[in-house]
Amino acid sequence: MAGRMSLARRNLLQEKTRMALSVGGVALAVMLTLVLNAFLSGMNRQITSYLDHSPGSLVVAQEDVVNLLGATSLLPGGIMSQVEAVRSVDEAIPILSQFVILDLHGKKQPAYMVGYDPDEGGGPWELFAGRQPRTKREMVFDQVLAERHGLKIGDEVEVLGKDFTIVGLSDGTTSWMTSFFFLQKAAAENLLLSPGSTSFLLLTTSEGADLESTLQRLNNLPGVNALTKQEMAVNDLKLFAQVFSTPLKLMVSIAFLVGTMVVGLVIYTATVERQREYGVLKAIGARNGVLYQVVLVQALAASLTGSLAGVLLAYGVAQWIMAVRPQFLIVFDPSDAVWALLSGLGMALLAALFPARVVAGLAPAEIFRR
Amino acid sequence: MKKDLADVPGRLAPTSTLEVDHVTKRYGSGDTEVAAVREVSLSVAAGEIVLIMGPSGSGKTTLLSMLGALLKPSAGEIRLNGEVISAMRENHLPDIRLRKFGFIFQDFNLLSALSALENVAIVAELAGIKRSAARKAAAILLTNLGLGDRLNFLPEKLSGGEKQRVAIARALINDPALILADEPTANLDSKIGHEIMRLLRQIAKKQGRSVVIVSHDQRIKDIADRVLWLEDGQFKDMVTMATDPVCGMTVELDNEIKIEWEGQLFYFCAKGCRDEFFSHPEQFSSRSVQPVKG
Ligand SMILES: Nc1ncnc2c1ncn2[C@@H]1O[C@H](COP(=O)(O)OP(=O)(O)OP(=O)(O)O)[C@@H](O)[C@H]1O
Ligand SMILES: [Mg+2]
Repeated sequence: MAGRMSLARRNLLQEKTRMALSVGGVALAVMLTLVLNAFLSGMNRQITSYLDHSPGSLVVAQEDVVNLLGATSLLPGGIMSQVEAVRSVDEAIPILSQFVILDLHGKKQPAYMVGYDPDEGGGPWELFAGRQPRTKREMVFDQVLAERHGLKIGDEVEVLGKDFTIVGLSDGTTSWMTSFFFLQKAAAENLLLSPGSTSFLLLTTSEGADLESTLQRLNNLPGVNALTKQEMAVNDLKLFAQVFSTPLKLMVSIAFLVGTMVVGLVIYTATVERQREYGVLKAIGARNGVLYQVVLVQALAASLTGSLAGVLLAYGVAQWIMAVRPQFLIVFDPSDAVWALLSGLGMALLAALFPARVVAGLAPAEIFRR
Repeated sequence: MKKDLADVPGRLAPTSTLEVDHVTKRYGSGDTEVAAVREVSLSVAAGEIVLIMGPSGSGKTTLLSMLGALLKPSAGEIRLNGEVISAMRENHLPDIRLRKFGFIFQDFNLLSALSALENVAIVAELAGIKRSAARKAAAILLTNLGLGDRLNFLPEKLSGGEKQRVAIARALINDPALILADEPTANLDSKIGHEIMRLLRQIAKKQGRSVVIVSHDQRIKDIADRVLWLEDGQFKDMVTMATDPVCGMTVELDNEIKIEWEGQLFYFCAKGCRDEFFSHPEQFSSRSVQPVKG
């Protein structure tokens, strides 16, 4: 066994350029895979961020509305007291929210407006600076979007024709698609010209409440659709993330294929070039299995080194992207690194297939021919 | 440089006999069929050096490959110590080659990424010897072959003669009963070639191994116990052979190109050699007709 390992290692080390090339190829492929995957999970986290941080476990929306971000919801008037009367509902926090297009010094910027009552909740969960709005002319703006547009506390932003003063900057409310900003609910009602209206109710339930039956009772109320926050988050993900997840997954598969092909090609040419030496081993009495191992160990060494380098590279690149473009959130899961190494392993196994066939096909008697 | 195998420890090779019984090898089929070796029989005793000579394409390499279990005969039997290796299943052959035969090639065929020591040790490791023991045995063997100060050299840093000695060490490391060599001196100058021949002779005489050599090199006849002439895939009588006094090639006695000079017959491989002989007969005539011993 040791002999095979050292032969494989020597063969690799003898061709440093070639080794570097295959390691580099795998590293890039793994890096791309990891960054794309982490980008996808970052995007998912951004999309569900509001629901993840808002109070309560259930959401009441307008009938047929299943998303937070996908559709405009308007609850029937007077529903609030009906909902609060439902057994095991503790508290109902109303918000009025909608997508709006902001005009930030000439640039159109879609953003998600949340009107909330600072005394009740449903507003920003983490302030980077400043405070919550105290008047109908104040707002909390997403910190990253503010920075991108050079906005500071005290600056004014026009929303649907009215000016608001930024009094707070919120953290974790950014997304490259949907940044959030927060107004008092009454201010939002004014803007949307619908006094007293509410889009969603965020419900907290009493301890030990059965969510299923609570939902059932809520759904018996007219003109509403009640669902868990998780369900709603999943629906939002379906709406937005899936648009991107298919092409991203395709790119991940392509990266894997490219990585496999790079290692495969490098190990294949290395094997073909050394055909004669493998033939010598075969003539001397090495079994095919031994030669497979020599080839496979080379492929493994190249892909696993490449995968490790790819993991490091991915972390570096992610830090760099997030520093330059803070609206992008790139979230690595520790299991991603495991996946990267596993895919490195997969690349090696696939890459060793063709070279192994070359080795298997060598006729030992050929060794005496010149 | 001391290159003596006499004091290699533990070298008492098991005696064995190789028998070739009416062996035929055909390549291809139908119209393109070539019978490279035809009904050849041969027996090699322990400690015997057999030299197989013959024109190009006569089947020497084919025969040697069959002797070494690298190639299956189309017909006939090859027995090693009575065991019919020509009928063995394919997956038994690697072990036979690994343990029973040592191969030596014209172009050395060392593994370029491994040092001299590793080239030898890996073959022992393939046979299941532990790494440290394999390296130790390889070092002793190489040192006995005069390569003690070359152990960690890569093949590219070795001379042709050194490479061939590494190859010989590799062939010996698993203590085989038989050494098979195809043109072992063809890529070496005559002095180094002579050293290699001396080594092969020691391997046979001091260690009791059988050595089968295929070669065009006339000088190997000096160390061979028996010289066989293969032609058209069959052994021919050697008494009918003579040596061209100009180029040293072996030629047949029924050759057209011959002359009588000072009462002696001279045979030539080609008209060019005959013409050269004519220009300086006194220079060549001392190397007169040498009917090859049968
Ligand atoms: N794999 C093969 N397929 C078909 N024909 C072959 C094959 N190997 C050898 N031959 C033929 O068999 C015959 C004997 O070849 P072989 O190599 O044994 O001769 P040789 O005596 O070793 O020649 P040389 O002195 O040139 O090495 C030749 O006619 C050759 O063309
Ligand atoms: Mg030949």
